[in-house]
Amino acid sequence: MSLVRVALGFSLAALIGIPVGLLMGASYHARKFLSLMVEMARPLSAIALLPLSIIIFKARTFSQLLGLEYLRYQKNLLNEMQLGMIFILFWGGVFPIILGTIQGVRSVRKMHLEAAGILGANRLFSFRHVIIPSALPDIFHGLKLGIGRCWMVIIAAEMLPGTNSGIGYLIRYSYQLSRYDIMLASIVIVAFIGALFSKGLESLGEKSLVLRSKER
Amino acid sequence: MEKNLSFSEAKKDDMTALKVTNLSKTYRESAGDVHALGPVSFEMEAGEFLCFLGPTGCGKTTLLRTIAGLEQPDTGEVIVQSPHYSGEPIIGYVFQQGALFPWMSIFANLEFPLKAKKIAQDTRRKKVESMLDMMGLASFASSYPHQLSGGMQQRAALARSLVMEPDLLLMDEPFSSLDMRTSQELQDNLRELLKRSSTTVLFVTHNIEEAVYLAGEVIVLGHRPGRIVRSETIDLPDPRSRLSDTFTEYLVSLRETFESLVSD
Repeated sequence: MSLVRVALGFSLAALIGIPVGLLMGASYHARKFLSLMVEMARPLSAIALLPLSIIIFKARTFSQLLGLEYLRYQKNLLNEMQLGMIFILFWGGVFPIILGTIQGVRSVRKMHLEAAGILGANRLFSFRHVIIPSALPDIFHGLKLGIGRCWMVIIAAEMLPGTNSGIGYLIRYSYQLSRYDIMLASIVIVAFIGALFSKGLESLGEKSLVLRSKER
Repeated sequence: MEKNLSFSEAKKDDMTALKVTNLSKTYRESAGDVHALGPVSFEMEAGEFLCFLGPTGCGKTTLLRTIAGLEQPDTGEVIVQSPHYSGEPIIGYVFQQGALFPWMSIFANLEFPLKAKKIAQDTRRKKVESMLDMMGLASFASSYPHQLSGGMQQRAALARSLVMEPDLLLMDEPFSSLDMRTSQELQDNLRELLKRSSTTVLFVTHNIEEAVYLAGEVIVLGHRPGRIVRSETIDLPDPRSRLSDTFTEYLVSLRETFESLVSD
């Protein structure tokens, strides 16, 4: 359950974070305009926002959002996707992704852009074939940090009342039942999955990194 | 990118490929203005090989960058025209080093300019393949730049510029980062290649021997601000030999000019 929530929140963060980062990296005005907002919002811990997000989103879940009201009182996947939780996952993941992407776009070598221009590429073509590939290692780095954050946030969020599924819930529940064996096992699983996420994204990003770092 | 270039439609008997008038450039920096170049005026005919020779920091690169439209001149005008057909002339530029895209294979690097011009895929493929063959790079098509030696990388960079069939090819000390042997090998390649095409080449170097070996005309550029100090037509038979007496005469004579510049 935690995995599905993270997948949802993280994809949302990536889906919004990468384009925003690309825009902010590429356009001076967008950067000026958005960076203040990002810098103000970024230090706000996602956990701190959990009560607020519960107020805003109530206990709404994805089944309601999709208008599937009749699913409300059944136990199913959509019903476990509390909007508030997805929101704070998004919040936790999106900033490292934005910052990583900006960093990537800004670190494109000027010579490569000039070469592309002389070779007849217009701005869009350069963006697609020069800026994005050279930003890729940093984007992956941002994604890696982002998913780590998401994973931390979800465990904490699931420990709070109002949840009855997920690994965070399992840790808290086993603690209440004094089943420390289950609790410890869950913690190990959390660590293991966290590392798996990190390594997975790292190996995805590795190829682009190798190519960039070996350039002369 | 090409704001400072003006294109004029070529008249039938007008063989001028490049006309530079009163070009000058000053870099404004916090530490004070640096008058890097000019004013410089010169003309080139289509098919000519002109070499700018000058010590480091004489504004050679600035000159090329301004002609390519990468830099805005303070005064003066650059006119590039294609002698064969009207329309926007194609300019090629070979950087000192490292301008290949490291995340693309050599094939993809060569394909880049053709793709940018929206040339059909099979035509692209054919052009890239024949260029790779011609440059002896066919076996490296799927390699990445970092897997190639410095010489091979510059060869690929040259191939990438030539595959667009430029009217004017600008070369900024393209072989200066290579060892002498590799550098001479590439000089030979370049001469061979140019025999088969009508490309006009503007080459910039601080290496006197390279200039005399390659160029039809050598212009010596003085120290900051870069100004034309001497212009010399190199009248040597083809193929050129680096050991012939006349070659050495040119070398010595240009070296004298060069030394007088540095000691100033």
